[in-house]
Amino acid sequence: MKLDLNWPTIRLLVVKDWQLFQKQLAAYVLGGIVALGFLGLAKPWAFYIGSLLLIIVQVAVACFAISTSLLIERKEQTLAFVMSLPVSPLDFTIAKLAGNLLTFLVPFAVIGLATLLVILSTPLPDGLVVFALLLFGHILLAYCASLTVAMQVESEGWNTFVMIASMVLINPFIMLLGQIESIREVGRGEAIVWSGDAVLILSAQLLLGLALLAFTAWWNGRKPAFY
Amino acid sequence: MSADATPIGAGTGPDARFHAFDQLRALAMLTGVLFHAALAYSPLLHRLWPTADAQHSPWVDALVWLPHLVRMPLFFVVAGFFTAALIARRGMDGLLRNRVRRILVPFLVAWPLVHGSVSQLTGWAAQALDQPSPLLLMLREWMAQPDPPALPPSTGHLWFLYYLLLFSVMTWAGRTLGLGALLRRWRALGPHVVALTLPLLVLPGFLGTQAPHPAPESLLPQFWAIALYGPFFALGAALHGQADWLAPLRSRVWPAALLCLLLYAAFLWRLGVDAAPEPWATASWPVAVLESLVAAFGTLACLVAGVRWLDRPNAWMSYLARSAYWVYLTHLPILFALQYLLLDVALAWPWKFVLGVAATLALCVGSYELCVRRTRLAHWVG
Repeated sequence: MKLDLNWPTIRLLVVKDWQLFQKQLAAYVLGGIVALGFLGLAKPWAFYIGSLLLIIVQVAVACFAISTSLLIERKEQTLAFVMSLPVSPLDFTIAKLAGNLLTFLVPFAVIGLATLLVILSTPLPDGLVVFALLLFGHILLAYCASLTVAMQVESEGWNTFVMIASMVLINPFIMLLGQIESIREVGRGEAIVWSGDAVLILSAQLLLGLALLAFTAWWNGRKPAFY
Repeated sequence: MSADATPIGAGTGPDARFHAFDQLRALAMLTGVLFHAALAYSPLLHRLWPTADAQHSPWVDALVWLPHLVRMPLFFVVAGFFTAALIARRGMDGLLRNRVRRILVPFLVAWPLVHGSVSQLTGWAAQALDQPSPLLLMLREWMAQPDPPALPPSTGHLWFLYYLLLFSVMTWAGRTLGLGALLRRWRALGPHVVALTLPLLVLPGFLGTQAPHPAPESLLPQFWAIALYGPFFALGAALHGQADWLAPLRSRVWPAALLCLLLYAAFLWRLGVDAAPEPWATASWPVAVLESLVAAFGTLACLVAGVRWLDRPNAWMSYLARSAYWVYLTHLPILFALQYLLLDVALAWPWKFVLGVAATLALCVGSYELCVRRTRLAHWVG
């Protein structure tokens, strides 16, 4: 693969995606503050609402990041404009991947850190860190799967299906984690113990996510044309 | 106390009110030091305050809760004003850069130092003093346990930095979502309507916590603190560039001050009537309503009085304002150390109070002069 990339234009395309994302990001930030506020009430019902709201914000970030930068752009046929720029299909692929990852990973990392802070700084059992990171791992994997499909498939229906299906799978995933004794018991204690099961699941999530992103970059990068 | 770097005191144009806001900030800071020092002699906090002296006086409770209801709301009005000023001068990027330099970094550096030193001092006091406070006694018993559980970390008296950061982020989010129009509409209702609606806006905050309201020291944002201080911060932001907006309230300063005193007397009376069966019970409706009225009218009265009488350069106050941030960051460990030592000293409580305040201020201002004023630290906390 010849890497003759137009970095200034790639940068501009990433900045464009980031700027278009600002309003959504502001809403997620407020949503995140409200979720943390519920957790700060230190009541069981508030913990349930707060943690659910944090997951909703994460899922919304993942879905809307992809929707705004890929699906809506296709619908509004902005690709014709991009084709008028001095960019190759590979430049465009890299810009889209980088822009998407930036808009997703910034709020993802902030909310993830805030969640860890909540667990470690409150009377909640510290062992929940393992459980929380596995949930974040699932959201990351679901995002990578949705992004991969969005980059390959133009059908809005299929994209919506993959986004909803992969994110809704978090529910059975939580139930699955609850069935694994080594993870369930750690979540109730103060020690953060990474059992073999937990390490295996998290590694699989990260490796599979990376593999999906690498495949997307490789597959799109070898396209000779934008379509 | 404040973390704003905006030069103050231009005296003309849109900056015409900056002297007043700067000096109000200095006075709020000084009141904070006096307030923390006085709590050692408050009967109401005798069982809860670590430096509580064996001597206490109902006069302390009669006097301290009024400034407590006004000083932090006033501080957040000033903070909101300077936030709007920063945005006007340097844009949102400039504001966020300034907040990182002036609030986030000092908070991250000062927090472990202050938290660690106060924890160490309190641990020492619990073990070593002959006449410890009730809280220190409890701590002594707790420390004697074989495996005492660790206390959850808190922001301590640096909570105001945490909320300044939070309000800065919320300002960015609000502006990005176009919510600034709501603020402009509120301001457009005029100062009298704003003054009457302000107690209603802050009432949920007072209802959501104990009375008198504590410091929101949790590392998680507290709804009641956002509801209480947020409207004051928004009011300050709305005031920027509106130099004469408060003018119609000038004639109401003295009536508002008198009304505040009457409402405060009623608040003290209700506080006695509602003496909480459990220390963490939230405020009753009558107490919360009275707190809202005192906080809103008292803050507005101070604001209008400040704009009217402090709107001129004053070398002493300017120095105090410049040193305020450093003094407020450092005062609590010093004050606690002195007051712990004074617990075993046979001296009348007013003298202990004066000694504690004077020595704390001398050490804080002295360290500012030596370590901050002419050094690179001034860039961050000067």
